[in-house]
Amino acid sequence: MAHAHGNAPSPSESMEAFLNGLWKQNPVFVQVLGMCPTLAVTNSARNAAAMGLATIFVLVCSNTLISLVRKLVQKQVRIATYILIIATFVTMVDYIIKAVSVDVYKALGPFIALIVVNCIILGRAEAFASKNSVGKSILDGLGMGLGFAIALFCLGGVREILGAGTLFGVSLFGPNFQPWVLFLLPSGGFFTLAGWLLIFTWWKERKKRMAEAQQ
Amino acid sequence: MNQAAPQNMPSSAKLIQLMGTVSLVCGLLIVSTHQATLAPIRANQETIMRQTVAELLPGANKQITYGVDGSGNLTVLQGVDAPGPKLFAGYDASGKLIGVVLEGADRGYADVIRAMYSYSLEKQAIIGFKVTELKETPGLGDKIVTDPKFLANFKELDASLKNRIVTVKSGTKKNKWEIDAISGATISSRAVGRLIDKSAKEMIPIIQRNRQRIEGGN
Amino acid sequence: MSAPSLTPEIVLHTSPHLHSARSVGVIMRNVVYAMLPICLYGVYNFGISVVALLVVSTLSCVLTEHMFCRAAGRPSSIKDSSVIITGILLGLTLPPGFPLWMAAVGGFVAVGLGKMLFGGLGFNVFNPALVGRAFLQAAFPTAITTYTPALANGRFAEFIPTTLTFPFAQPPVITEWIARVRIDAFSGATPLTALKFDKIGTGLTPLFWGNVAGSAGETSVILILLGGLYLVARNFMDWRITAAMLLSAFVLSGVFHLSNPAAYPHPLFMLFSGGLMLGAVFMATDMVGSPVTPLGVWIYGGVMGALTILIRLLGGLPEGVMYAILIGNAVSPMIDNLTQPRVYGTQRKTGARA
Repeated sequence: MAHAHGNAPSPSESMEAFLNGLWKQNPVFVQVLGMCPTLAVTNSARNAAAMGLATIFVLVCSNTLISLVRKLVQKQVRIATYILIIATFVTMVDYIIKAVSVDVYKALGPFIALIVVNCIILGRAEAFASKNSVGKSILDGLGMGLGFAIALFCLGGVREILGAGTLFGVSLFGPNFQPWVLFLLPSGGFFTLAGWLLIFTWWKERKKRMAEAQQ
Repeated sequence: MNQAAPQNMPSSAKLIQLMGTVSLVCGLLIVSTHQATLAPIRANQETIMRQTVAELLPGANKQITYGVDGSGNLTVLQGVDAPGPKLFAGYDASGKLIGVVLEGADRGYADVIRAMYSYSLEKQAIIGFKVTELKETPGLGDKIVTDPKFLANFKELDASLKNRIVTVKSGTKKNKWEIDAISGATISSRAVGRLIDKSAKEMIPIIQRNRQRIEGGN
Repeated sequence: MSAPSLTPEIVLHTSPHLHSARSVGVIMRNVVYAMLPICLYGVYNFGISVVALLVVSTLSCVLTEHMFCRAAGRPSSIKDSSVIITGILLGLTLPPGFPLWMAAVGGFVAVGLGKMLFGGLGFNVFNPALVGRAFLQAAFPTAITTYTPALANGRFAEFIPTTLTFPFAQPPVITEWIARVRIDAFSGATPLTALKFDKIGTGLTPLFWGNVAGSAGETSVILILLGGLYLVARNFMDWRITAAMLLSAFVLSGVFHLSNPAAYPHPLFMLFSGGLMLGAVFMATDMVGSPVTPLGVWIYGGVMGALTILIRLLGGLPEGVMYAILIGNAVSPMIDNLTQPRVYGTQRKTGARA
């Protein structure tokens, strides 16, 4: 990230900023960051999607604003400034969700406010937005946010399908399906996350082995 | 940058100025969002409350919300977000009182269970029941929301207060003031009995005292 | 690619260098012998459903271990019989009419998650059978608390309706079936459930012999004790763990009982009911999960006994043996650490721990 002074980024660089968060540096499956919302609100696909969208919004907005003011902010007060900006957008999301759907608001509960302390957001502010141009920061926020949202959805989808036999509230297997209640409980979040991490690690190892075999 | 502080240390005034500006921008953003979402949030809460009351008192076209103060006097409330105990009176098209919806809460297995129930002054009985907040184990405790046999307890549950409203062991309900528990969800069923009993004991005398006023709808 | 071998070819360690011919296989086979009477009594008590349950849970465990060994490119370790014990123990802790497909899931989780992912026998932190049961308890709370009465009519001619539930389907409601087959007024509630939720006590004599409702193999105190005595007599089992667990359970429930005899049951009832006896004899004594120091063994048993009573009397669940033993397994390395004996000839430094 040598472009500290905002030359127009080349298309390939922008693409990389976007794809990094989506896949190579996926915040949940690769960096294992932001575990609190990941485990707590993914008991249904709808909650996971709502949390994912809220995080994308906060991440993109805070990255934008922080990138805009990056040359004005002295390093002594940068963390305080970042947190102030992040908290502002989180409060806004809080109001907006309440206005859109009370059900979603009840389900997400205190975890909306806790987006403030989601380390992904401060992490991107400090590691990326404070050093890069606005355009690239937005793409980075979008990529990281989408990566986070997809990961939440992977967890929420599996947990809802196994735990309730539904996806987005639509019954998949008929009324006779035996729900695996465990997956709706907090411990189910750990099991599902472990399962996904297992798959990811196995897949990565396999790819590595295949690349070695080809040489 | 004209200050001469060593090691590029900016002056405090400069830092305060910066934080102040950022705070101002952030404050503006928050206040404008708050203003913009105030009306829809209120409308949402009221819709939900109206739906719940209409569900518990079928046929209630008109509703009045009363707040109850410490000495048991009623005041008509406009919104639903005022603190303290509340009554929701429901009237049919001709303006006749159908019943009153009350709130209650007690500790279940996992957390506090909150519920609303409707009380008919005419029948001196509870005629509807709905759980509004529940964190019980899915598949066990949440049966108090779905189990039709359990909900049948609240078609006409004696609330004349001559007897304590109480949850009894599954299949042993003998009297009109008893609630038949769900087998396998005993703790949650008992919490329902307690929350209704506690709230009914407190609120029903107040309703009886203010009966004329509630029936008159003012 | 070469996987790191867990069984190095050259073993270097301190004395003792001479071993008796007592292999894992011999110990495990004897444990199976000790459990056989309990299995047979379970079949007598609850009928052919228990046969199916034990067969399915054992097969599921054995197949899972075989599959995992294959996938890891290691020789199959099913011959040492330890996985058979896991399967039988899991079956014995489940309700007699537990759906077979759920029992198979339990066996897979028990061995897959509880044992093989840790590296197989000797590396598992928790008792695998209890890991499987804990998973089932959390996943299917209704099925695992649906008990059927003992000595039901026609139990050798037909399965309990829930046993043959179609895979991934909900088990049927059996209230009417119970009313048809029961021989007395019992609804199938276990003694502990009856006491906790309905305040109905059960006599000590039926609890001792075992003709009461409960999990497939937990009801008969006398047979479990005889099995334990056989293992102790042949020196295959650490009797101190069992003794410590039962003693602490007895003392703590005695304290509760004396403080308020109306609210808390007699300590002997606590010892004879539920899975305490089965857990104390066959699960708490699992060599892998328990401490090795002499003092640690007593502490370990004492902690588990006390936890069982606390969960039963003060918690929301009627039974707590499973969680007590799992917590005991979890703290056992710590107990070992805190109770290292003083090496002869050295002095214990104040505050320093091994």
